[in-house]
Amino acid sequence: MADNFSPDSEPTTRTLLRRVLDTADPRTPRRARSTLSGCWSLHSAQRDLLETSSSRRLRSQTKMTAKRRSHTARSVDRLARVQASGHLEEQTPRTLLKNIILTAPESSVVMPEAVVKLVPSPQVVQPSRRESSRGSLELQLPELEPPTTLAPGLLAPGRRKQRLRLSEFQQGMDWGHLSQEPRENADASSLTSSLNLTFAMPVQPQSVKRPGLARRPPTRRVVDVGTFLQDLRDTSFPMAPPGESHRTPVATVPTDIVLEDTQPFSQPLADHSPSVHHSLPCPSHSGTKEVEGAASRRTRSSGPGLQNNHSGPGKPAQLLARKVEEVDALAMGFPNTSSISGEDGVEPLQNGVGEEAEESMEESMSIREVEKAAEEQESARAEEPEGHTEVTEAVGSLGAIEAKEPEGSSEDEDTSASPQLAPSTPELLQARRLQFPEPAPPPSTAVLPSELPKRLSARIPPRPRIPGSRPRQDPYKAGLNHYAKLFSFYAKMPMEKKAVEMVENLDKYFQHLCEDLEVFAAHAGRKTVRPEDLELLLRRQGLVTDRVSLHVLVERHLPLEYRQLLIPCAFSGNSVFPTQ
Amino acid sequence: MMEEEEGAEEQQRFSYRQRLKAAVHYTVGCLCEEVALDKDMQFSKQTIAAISEVTFRQCENFATDLEMFARHGKRSTINTEDVKLLARRSHSLLKYITEKNEDIAQLNLERKAKKKKKWEDENRNSVESAEAGVEESEN
Repeated sequence: MADNFSPDSEPTTRTLLRRVLDTADPRTPRRARSTLSGCWSLHSAQRDLLETSSSRRLRSQTKMTAKRRSHTARSVDRLARVQASGHLEEQTPRTLLKNIILTAPESSVVMPEAVVKLVPSPQVVQPSRRESSRGSLELQLPELEPPTTLAPGLLAPGRRKQRLRLSEFQQGMDWGHLSQEPRENADASSLTSSLNLTFAMPVQPQSVKRPGLARRPPTRRVVDVGTFLQDLRDTSFPMAPPGESHRTPVATVPTDIVLEDTQPFSQPLADHSPSVHHSLPCPSHSGTKEVEGAASRRTRSSGPGLQNNHSGPGKPAQLLARKVEEVDALAMGFPNTSSISGEDGVEPLQNGVGEEAEESMEESMSIREVEKAAEEQESARAEEPEGHTEVTEAVGSLGAIEAKEPEGSSEDEDTSASPQLAPSTPELLQARRLQFPEPAPPPSTAVLPSELPKRLSARIPPRPRIPGSRPRQDPYKAGLNHYAKLFSFYAKMPMEKKAVEMVENLDKYFQHLCEDLEVFAAHAGRKTVRPEDLELLLRRQGLVTDRVSLHVLVERHLPLEYRQLLIPCAFSGNSVFPTQ
Repeated sequence: MMEEEEGAEEQQRFSYRQRLKAAVHYTVGCLCEEVALDKDMQFSKQTIAAISEVTFRQCENFATDLEMFARHGKRSTINTEDVKLLARRSHSLLKYITEKNEDIAQLNLERKAKKKKKWEDENRNSVESAEAGVEESEN
């Protein structure tokens, strides 16, 4: 027999059993039991231990036979011995304890690690142990590395030891005592019994008494529905993209909700937006602003009144519905804005570009549903008193990423008349967001890709805009101010003013992109800019190659909501969305 | 064997490229000489080499773009329209190309007219000869 392996300092199972063996006489089971119980006289549980130890041993034996294969060589040897002894001798408590002592050293050698592992996470192990069903304990085995490889007989003492340690830990935690004799003994007895529900009982009450280790139910704050709805209203309004209302209603709701969440840069953008907008009289712009506000990207419009208008309607869904109405209303309302904001500019524009305007208006009408550019907004805001080129410049300056088709159409739209701009701008915004993966050429690649996902994903809650402040800079570049700030943000290091100005000088580039789109459409004999034109533009920029297609870019850089709207996907019931 | 063929093909292509590059380089050199004489300013060798290299690469880009434009217009042949689209950036170049295009179109028309005339003449001749032949045969 393996004796005196365990240190006497610790009241381990081994020591206890040693004591028992030393004191107990080898007698018949019944007599032995009585003497043993008398000797133990520590805890009632211990008596139970003796009574159930035989049953446990039987179980352990069966377990051992079952798990023999999985055990290490050492354990196998022990198992064989135990089994042999079990078969040969009568199952007396003495023999049981002997077996335990035989097996205990194995576990004790391994114990330090196992206990160390267990001690840090007693809570994890103990609750399951408290259940103390054999099955649960067996389940515990895989969690304990060294013990799992041992035989159940070996494991039992190990577990017992672990339990003992844990209980000590518990004691230490809750009572400040590291060890108490009776408790230790009780634990030891419970450990020796090891897998008994009855022994689990004493352990459980202890755990209940120890609030530190007990698992507390997660405290849930009562949700204030009122404030929640209010928050929804506040945040959802700017989010709801007006253009999306034109698409299938199915798409609007999820995008609505999800887009609200995807606002990584709501704060910075919100800061940008007020600074960017060109001031124009409030009432005229209020209408346009309502539509814009939902888009909330380019808050070019000056009037703060839009924000107020937004607060009126209720939920996002309602807002979307209203957007559609607003778009129509804006068409009516825009002449006011134009008259107010850009009378001088608009008239010459209209006069000068009459025929073109008509054509472009047709184009724009057709395109409106598809792609819109926020640039148009900006150009409208920007009051373009100059000629066509300037309008296009402004448009170019606006469309960082969206520089494609919408810009081509938007240019025409701008030249045509501002009345068309207001309804189209929000839609353009939407379409632009949806349509454009990345147009960036190598130099602007750093800017545009970063800007694009941000622009698309960020829906800023509308902030009150300062009315009356005229743009201090060139209106055509004012739109790029927004992008320049984003650029400086993503640069992750401070940028000189000159560098930011250079970014603003990109307006020419964007303008060229818009013109290209227009030309491409014309080249194909069309008056409408289509995704094919956009793809051609991207291909020229080197973003779309033979290996990388437009869809790939959409997948890479646009959030899922846009991807759903752009890439046709087959749904159940033979329905493809978006339809082609 | 396939690899050898591919390797040989690669070699061929490479040597072809080199020849093309050399041709471009020579042309660029000639042009630079003209400009140098005109402006009384010398061109260094590196400059000419750089210009020729840039020209060559730009030609590759042009070719790709032209093909893209043609495909965009659902055509399999590169058209003057594609070329004009390519040159739209530079106004002067675009104007020049448009003028040239018109000249060429005119030339084509003239040629067509000439050809038509010729063809008609030939027809008449053939008819006459046929008639003559018939007459002869009859006779």
